[in-house]
Amino acid sequence: MDGEEKTYAGCEGPDDMYVKLISSGGHEFIVKREYALTSGTIKATLSGPSQFAENKTNEVNFISKVCMCFTCKVRYTNSSTKIPEFPIAPKIALELLMAANFLDC
Amino acid sequence: MLSPAPEEPLLLAELKPGRPHQFDWKSSCETWSVAFSPDGSWFAWSQGHCIVKLIPWPLEEQFIPKGFEAKSRSSKSDTKGRSSPKEKTLDCGQIVWGLAFSPWPSPPSRKLWARHHPQVPDVSCLILATGLNDGQIKIWEVQTGLLLLNLSGHQDVVRDLSFTPSGSLILVSASRDKTLRIWDLNKHGKQIQVLSGHLQWVYCCSISPDCSMLCSAAGEKSVFLWSMRSYTLIRKLEGHQSSVVSCDFSPDSALLVTASYDTNVIMWDPYTGERLRSLHHTQLDPSMDDSDVHMSSLRSVCFSPEGLYLATVADDRLLRIWALELKAPIAFAPMTNGLCCTFFPHGGVIATGTRDGHVQFWTAPRVLSSLKHLCRKALRSFLTTYQVLALPIPKKMKEFLTYRTF
Repeated sequence: MDGEEKTYAGCEGPDDMYVKLISSGGHEFIVKREYALTSGTIKATLSGPSQFAENKTNEVNFISKVCMCFTCKVRYTNSSTKIPEFPIAPKIALELLMAANFLDC
Repeated sequence: MLSPAPEEPLLLAELKPGRPHQFDWKSSCETWSVAFSPDGSWFAWSQGHCIVKLIPWPLEEQFIPKGFEAKSRSSKSDTKGRSSPKEKTLDCGQIVWGLAFSPWPSPPSRKLWARHHPQVPDVSCLILATGLNDGQIKIWEVQTGLLLLNLSGHQDVVRDLSFTPSGSLILVSASRDKTLRIWDLNKHGKQIQVLSGHLQWVYCCSISPDCSMLCSAAGEKSVFLWSMRSYTLIRKLEGHQSSVVSCDFSPDSALLVTASYDTNVIMWDPYTGERLRSLHHTQLDPSMDDSDVHMSSLRSVCFSPEGLYLATVADDRLLRIWALELKAPIAFAPMTNGLCCTFFPHGGVIATGTRDGHVQFWTAPRVLSSLKHLCRKALRSFLTTYQVLALPIPKKMKEFLTYRTF
């Protein structure tokens, strides 16, 4: 998410290490599969029958804050370091709540 | 929504006041209040016998071993190194009941400083207010331990104090004289309002984090909600069967909890006055016969900083941790003669005070809020219950946002 050019092992198939999450605005977020599985909904989507197009290409639509949430969860679960503040601007809070509810996270 | 497998609170440290033998340890030795400064850098320990110790947080290494006696001493010279040089001792001259830190940093106030300093200093000032036995309130500067102001007005014990979280230096006090008073520390501690209405001792007061509401609770079993804008009564909350002695708002101001000698903690929606649930404090061992039962009168209740847990102290010698959504406590710790509790503002630690002047520090459940809860907290910090109900969202989402789903 820092804009650097990076090549990834690939987001082509169900076993790959990375998945690509695309927001409705077309922004692409490439995250480790393990992190994205924090969301019960994404997990179900990615492990479902492979007829579903989503599974083949590992793409799910949503927004960037959810990605940050996944990273925090993986990083700070079972860790003794202090959990930093996770600021949520009031104007996106409702939309983010809907996304969090849908994704069950 | 909660992290699994919460642990029992573990005792991290205990501070005991060292006392010369001639003191009668049975009287006036209680720790009625404990408090952390909102930025987590200081701890105030009302250790009985009119003394308040201000201890920098985190605690120095030497405090950690159990049973260490932190003797009260002057803060001037200390070559033995048993107490931190930054530690301050405030001699209040009479029994200390209520304690409150101002939010930090407060804007420096010319009039507050004028008495002690020829020029206004650049650094803003962290303040501690102490509520005393005869109704006086002493205002202290934490960094130096200097007495800044004496507020007079109350006719009886000042049992609890609360600063507005906004840093405006407005102080609310609750007293056995059945009134609450509003003081403006920007104007030399001028008393700007007296709130009357309670019929018996007022035990506690708490200001909502959004600074809109003041809660007070008293011996006549009722809980009052006042507007912090107009200083008028908004509503009375009825439901407790005995004196109500402790109250606290959730961090998003959406919930209010009150604790009573009737062994219950009630959780309310402060905007509608509805009772959302009751937390019953019952005996762990039901086989005790009636003559032996210790009443589980509540002494103190407080919310955790992320708003997902409560801690309660009761006369049945237990510190209980409750999860917001569950009907029974998730953890217990044995604690005799407990009087007060408070969470460390950044989470992870609970401080408790007892009748013999000791304070204990316990581990608190470490929790990663779900994104749903973080959004709820963000929304409820500025939306009232009625505003939530007016949103164009599904019913289940409204129930979640108004804490009706448990």
